[in-house]
Amino acid sequence: MTVLLTGKKGEQHLLMGNEAIVRGALEAGVNLAAGYPGTPSSEIIENLGLVAKDRNLYVEWAVNEKVAAEVAAAGSFAGLRTLATMKMNGVHVASDFLLHLALSGVRGGMVLVACDDPNAHSSQHEGDMRYFAPMLEIPLLEPGDFQDAKDLLKWAYELSEQLRSVIFFRSTTRLSHASGQVVLDELPANDRRAEFRFDGFILDDMTGIVMSLPINFKHPQLQQKIKQAADLFEECPFNTYTGPPNPEILVISSSASSLYSIEAIHLLGLEGKVGLLKLATTWPLPRKLIQTHLAQARQVLVVEEVLPFLEENIKALAYELAGDIGAKPIFGKRDGALPTYGELNPDLVAGALSKITGAPLPQRPDSYQQRISEMIFFGAPARDITFCPGCPHRASLWSIENVLQMDRRKGFVCGDVGCYTMALHPMNFGSLKTAHSMGSGTGLASGFGKLGRFGMDQPVLSVCGDSTFFHAALPALVNAVHNQSNMTMVVLDNSGTAMTGFQPHPSIEKNAMGEIAEAIDIAKVCAAIGAEVALCDPFDVERTQEALFQLIEKKGPKVLILKQMCALSPEKKGFRKYEVRVDPKACLGEDCGCNRLCTRIYRCPGLVWDKPNKVARIDEIVCAGCGVCASICPAGAIHKVLSENDKGREAA
Amino acid sequence: MTPLKFDPYNLVITGVGGQGNVTASRLVGNMLSLLGYRITIGETFGASQRGGSVKSDVRISSATTFSPQIPKGNAHMIVAMEPAEAVRVLGDWGNPEVKVICNMRPIHSVNVICGDSEYPTPEQHQQWITDLSRQAWFVNSTEEAVKLGSPIFSNIILIGALAGTGDLPLERDLFQTVIAQRLPADKVEKNLVAFDIGRAMTAA
Amino acid sequence: MQVFGPNELVADVFQKDLCVGCGACTELCPYLRNHRGKTGMLFSCTRAQGRCYAYCPKVEVDLDGLFALMFNAPYEGKPIGIHRKVLTAKAGLRMTAGKFQAGGVVSALVTYALKTGLIDAAVLTDRKGLIPVPHLVTNPEDVTKFASTKYMAAPTVAMVNKGQQQGYKRMGIVGTPCQLTAVAKIRANPLQKEEFADPIGLAIGLFCTWSLDTRRLLAFMADKLDVGRIHKMDIPPPPAEIMVVETDQGRVVFPLSQIRALVPNSCSICPDLSAELADLSVGVLEGRPDLNTLIIRTPKGEDLARNAERDGFLITAEMPTENFEHLCFAAGNKKTRAFEQLRERDLVNTDGGKRAALRVNASTLKRIGVE
Repeated sequence: MTVLLTGKKGEQHLLMGNEAIVRGALEAGVNLAAGYPGTPSSEIIENLGLVAKDRNLYVEWAVNEKVAAEVAAAGSFAGLRTLATMKMNGVHVASDFLLHLALSGVRGGMVLVACDDPNAHSSQHEGDMRYFAPMLEIPLLEPGDFQDAKDLLKWAYELSEQLRSVIFFRSTTRLSHASGQVVLDELPANDRRAEFRFDGFILDDMTGIVMSLPINFKHPQLQQKIKQAADLFEECPFNTYTGPPNPEILVISSSASSLYSIEAIHLLGLEGKVGLLKLATTWPLPRKLIQTHLAQARQVLVVEEVLPFLEENIKALAYELAGDIGAKPIFGKRDGALPTYGELNPDLVAGALSKITGAPLPQRPDSYQQRISEMIFFGAPARDITFCPGCPHRASLWSIENVLQMDRRKGFVCGDVGCYTMALHPMNFGSLKTAHSMGSGTGLASGFGKLGRFGMDQPVLSVCGDSTFFHAALPALVNAVHNQSNMTMVVLDNSGTAMTGFQPHPSIEKNAMGEIAEAIDIAKVCAAIGAEVALCDPFDVERTQEALFQLIEKKGPKVLILKQMCALSPEKKGFRKYEVRVDPKACLGEDCGCNRLCTRIYRCPGLVWDKPNKVARIDEIVCAGCGVCASICPAGAIHKVLSENDKGREAA
Repeated sequence: MTPLKFDPYNLVITGVGGQGNVTASRLVGNMLSLLGYRITIGETFGASQRGGSVKSDVRISSATTFSPQIPKGNAHMIVAMEPAEAVRVLGDWGNPEVKVICNMRPIHSVNVICGDSEYPTPEQHQQWITDLSRQAWFVNSTEEAVKLGSPIFSNIILIGALAGTGDLPLERDLFQTVIAQRLPADKVEKNLVAFDIGRAMTAA
Repeated sequence: MQVFGPNELVADVFQKDLCVGCGACTELCPYLRNHRGKTGMLFSCTRAQGRCYAYCPKVEVDLDGLFALMFNAPYEGKPIGIHRKVLTAKAGLRMTAGKFQAGGVVSALVTYALKTGLIDAAVLTDRKGLIPVPHLVTNPEDVTKFASTKYMAAPTVAMVNKGQQQGYKRMGIVGTPCQLTAVAKIRANPLQKEEFADPIGLAIGLFCTWSLDTRRLLAFMADKLDVGRIHKMDIPPPPAEIMVVETDQGRVVFPLSQIRALVPNSCSICPDLSAELADLSVGVLEGRPDLNTLIIRTPKGEDLARNAERDGFLITAEMPTENFEHLCFAAGNKKTRAFEQLRERDLVNTDGGKRAALRVNASTLKRIGVE
């Protein structure tokens, strides 16, 4: 981490993809960076925030990706080099602004780093953001490895300033969160000054008005920039070819998929027959470069994640070139050689190459495979993700479930995006009955809450986190209040943007650079809008359920804020408030009156079922000491005692 | 640079979210990078931290940069912080030549806790792992870590255990250099003790 | 008596819409709870046998077994069950005044039982708006607060369960026939565990033809009056065919035909009008709104009534023959109709492993006229 600041030119370091991007931004002399937390992009702003003071940067966690892009654009309009970062979904959020930004152009170089998550390792979708490039007409770059992640980013700034266009820089989980070796370059002096000029000729790029109008001028101008980009891409040093001059198969790939391709070729021993064209500039395509390589190859395999973006563009180009170079078979996703969903890996790419060439795939011996099949089902029981021990969401959802089930009017919860999204899964209470994008839970609830006139009398709830509240749920709450919708919004306030790594947001007193920031009070905001507001500690299960019962009886829009810090927050992590233990003599276990409530239903990972003794037991390695299980045990068999630390603190 | 037993040498470090998987892979990666090897580490973190399975693929080569995912059936060494995870990784990446270092302290998944799944006995786990590997070491790194003062030392002990096998050139000095880069001086000593404890567990 | 578990309870009662909301299955565990008059299962329970099933008055009720327990006698299907005396009664002069329904006999008996230590606590039912709320009362002065009839099916038995957990060993309960059937099952301790031994000291029954589903009643009345300001509800005897609700702002009258639509389905299979599984049972007396009918069934009940009268808490008198015959007629009709329903729905004396709502000896069934 600190090596991002102190590393010198020529040194080689093992860096995470996102760290390489950070170093690239610093080497490019970026002045301002704004983003919204989103896996797998969050480490970029985090690390830039840590070095902001030393490098005289302004780094911001914006309230959402649209505003992040706007903040970065402001810096660019004032002549600075700026960076905006987000996960794939964020590009959708920012897209209206980006649509206009493409036409208005930028001044100082501006790069938007967007990180896709094939296989949705930490997402609810594995969307492919590359399609925004042709739709918005913004040039698209994709680093193919860790060195690229740094160096291509610097090149992106040159490109951005040459075209006066924002540039998309697309990474994926297996680059951003993977690590590889990177040779560093020097850090420049950082002495740009900001000034926003608007007093020149109205249509002047650098001194006029920054707008997308007039269309008849700006749109052709943008399309001219794209033509210019395609020309520049012909000479881009990051488009590389390795392999024989006339390959049997030309693999065209980008991003992490190019690494899988290299490995697959190696696995099958096909270095003599298969060449790899790794493209860093994936839209617009460098026509002449592609033509040269297509002409020399017999067949083509396009390897990419997730959708056949590159494949479709290459096929369109190949059709135009067919007269000159002939029609070549182009394999990829559309013909089923590679899957159209999920992430790739060396095995899948090797599988495609094996099918095309007939080269055999290396296999494990049958006898070994057989023994594996026999043991794998029992040997590795499923390990679903769940709320951490000490997570306030477990307690909140427990109360919500109890209340809605007792109420028996088929009440339901509209879900949103955060750790609490895990409540979609029956393993984690299964309370959420809808789940889409940021803020959509409250938007849906606002709609559901108006359906009483059509006979619906089910209690309507939505959940959202404290960060999600500001990101997108706020307008939905305004809508619910203005339209007097009958719903209850439950804000799960754990004092941070937790799922993505506990970043600050508008109701936290700290910003991305560790400085003091203005903390906006969620309860006051909700009350000011006009909702009825209640505030509880979700660890106080009784009071929370009481409050929720009262709220769901009432009409109109209500907000219940359940405030308790995340178990992984720096203030709580590794520190136990209570020492908790189960009294095995009092534990009812499977008997009538309990039947394993704590392990079978509440399911905190800190509790385990001691099968031989038929009692529940605390796993001291895992237990976070929140003490909630003690209040739900029907036999009162779980005891909690304040830890020494807490006693010490209270005495002090 | 010592030639590797296999090139690339494919090391998997696996466990449950929150056990220090990522730290361990970075430490090993940094140690070997200092020696001049080409290193790629592949991992997924984020949601998997919430009690799910986590896995780091560490690719080590004297000459080439490999992808962040080990091809199926190609692990050479599995360092497992949890027994069920050792088995899970063997399922897809095991082969007759693989070696396994396995911490025997179970972490029950929510599926096991709620009664949907059964957790095998330690004997069952050891039998399967032994049967499906060239060589296996069963250690109690969690127990030793708790004695040292905190379960978080478990991953350091396992790095020591990995060093002790001699399969990779992970010398004590190298570890000290790398750990000193990451931690304040007063924390380094205890980590060295943890390293030594681990090394003793597997040294012949 | 056959005991099954919560999954069978769900299948036999909730899914068949036979729950009468008596509360017997609730407050035993985290899974079954009653809220605003409706009982439901919150989370799954995997037990093969549970007190929830064992105590429910709508499943596997072994009438012969329960009568043997209470009276040492078989169940013969008599219209008003086993009785030693049937009298008219009202609260005595020493009884504190209160908003009694009719003669105030129940309040008087409970007050006296508490005062004399026959019971260590009384399970009574209050009303909050239209929501019935069970209470555990230990102070005799508080008893009159719970006077006045609640027509809603109330989860009163939940408080028996709670009281048992709190350590009360001789509770008194005032309940409807279904509630007292559940209480009788509780007293039988079907799971045979020491911690679940009989906690009841006195059972006082209330006559009941049918009750009202709380949620449906709320939905029906909420827009017609302010439910928070009801202070009395009454269904005067025929031929009135109305329900009268007195509020702060005056009285509202509902045609009984509209009210009958709110009766739980379960009431149609209930063969008990006079609350037969009790020490004493109390109801209205036709034509005399200031008096009650009092049925004395057990020696304990007889002692209580006699002592209460001696000490000025109760005044009794002979029951006119006409009233007695009317009562037996009405009770007999309810019994026959119920058994016919049970037979038609194949819920009585089922065999081949099929679970029944009620089991009764074959000869009694024949005598009632239902084969």
